[in-house]
Amino acid sequence: MSGHLTLPALLVTYALMLLPLALFVRLRLGLVRVTLVALVRMSVQLALVGLYLKWIFELNRPGVTAAWMGVMLLTANYDVLGKAGLRRRLFFSRTLMAIGASVGGTAAWFVLLSIRPDPPYDARYAIPIVGMLLGNTLRSNVLGLERFYGDIRRNEAEFETYLLLGAALDEAVRPYLRTAMRAAINPSLATMASMGIVSLPGMMTGQLLGGASPTAAIEYQIGIMISIFVSMVLAVLLNVRLTLSVAFDAYGRLRSEIFR
Amino acid sequence: MELCAGGRTLLAGADLRARAGEKVGLRGASGCGKSSLLKSAVGLFPLAAGEVVVDGVSLSPATAGAVRARVAFVGQEPALGAETVRDALLLPFRFKAHRDRRPAERRLLETLDSLLLPASIMEKACARVSGGEKQRVAMARALLMGKTIFLVDEITSALDPESKRVAMEALFRPELTMLSVSHDPEWLARCDRVVSFEGGRLEEAEGGT
Repeated sequence: MSGHLTLPALLVTYALMLLPLALFVRLRLGLVRVTLVALVRMSVQLALVGLYLKWIFELNRPGVTAAWMGVMLLTANYDVLGKAGLRRRLFFSRTLMAIGASVGGTAAWFVLLSIRPDPPYDARYAIPIVGMLLGNTLRSNVLGLERFYGDIRRNEAEFETYLLLGAALDEAVRPYLRTAMRAAINPSLATMASMGIVSLPGMMTGQLLGGASPTAAIEYQIGIMISIFVSMVLAVLLNVRLTLSVAFDAYGRLRSEIFR
Repeated sequence: MELCAGGRTLLAGADLRARAGEKVGLRGASGCGKSSLLKSAVGLFPLAAGEVVVDGVSLSPATAGAVRARVAFVGQEPALGAETVRDALLLPFRFKAHRDRRPAERRLLETLDSLLLPASIMEKACARVSGGEKQRVAMARALLMGKTIFLVDEITSALDPESKRVAMEALFRPELTMLSVSHDPEWLARCDRVVSFEGGRLEEAEGGT
């Protein structure tokens, strides 16, 4: 077995798609067109990213690596607010700071203190790890922010009762922070609990297929799972903390204009 | 004061005062802004113009905590905000502002008793108590906090006669000041004054004692 798929091997894999497509046609589900569009988009995007990453890895310049990570961060932040149903105009700089600090800090810890590549800014480590942290932080923060602000809006009378009973804003939001945090981390806790038995994670699978030893793949996987968990918890907490002052008015009322 | 909502003026050029111990009833058509007026007194509904003064303290973001510490708000179906009634009664005393004033068990029982609530209700889940009991628990909590100003929004409309009698006994105490929205003639008759919402203005109405 070689370290990568050859073009004929890739075409054989594409042929596998004929099965669901044939079923869609046969059952008249109307899904052929969307599936083909998604397949083409995925293939073109990954091919372009592959070429781009190849160039970045070969260049291995800290400025270029940082710029690409900046693009990833901006895109993730844009998506978080859009999917959480919150107004980007009000939140963008604050959530950017929260996600940037939590992902950047955790990735720096893992790469610089655990992996210790030479040079320390090696794009081959920095970009995939930041990408994995961002992807997972994005999902958890969409769940967390949507749940946090949505719950306060849905339970306005209860929230106002806390304020009237003398709660400071940070005390009044605590029950909603608790449920938002649970919503954000539950999928990860479930994945962590079943990892290795029910599923082999993508990063580990990729490493094994690329020829790495199972021991090395597991070591990286443990490191990345811990980093993902820390990063998502920090990001949800920071996001809530940094957005409170724009989401509530001076009397502690939730501003309705934060929702899209 | 002036109140607006959704581009509509609910109340303009209004001046509403209640002396200490006075019971003022508010009545008016549905949606005219009576509940918004009550909420504006504790900073939960914005005033378009004017000022709220409670015990000489002008309501502002800086004084909202102090004003809210004196004022209780009891609605038709109050949110108790806890799992059990005991947790609900003690909830305010978990917040920094009241942490050092947690009442003793005996005071809890006395307060519940004054509202004809049995001691056993403390272990009941809030989700399992009736609307009338919820109102009395909310009142008990306010009394435990030493609040003397009550804003009461239509609490008798869903109550049985016994619960209504108890609620009235609890709130028409001489030491309490009360601003209440109601359509109940018996309730309004016990108020010292009744103010009516008419065409975006407040007018002294007939009724009261």
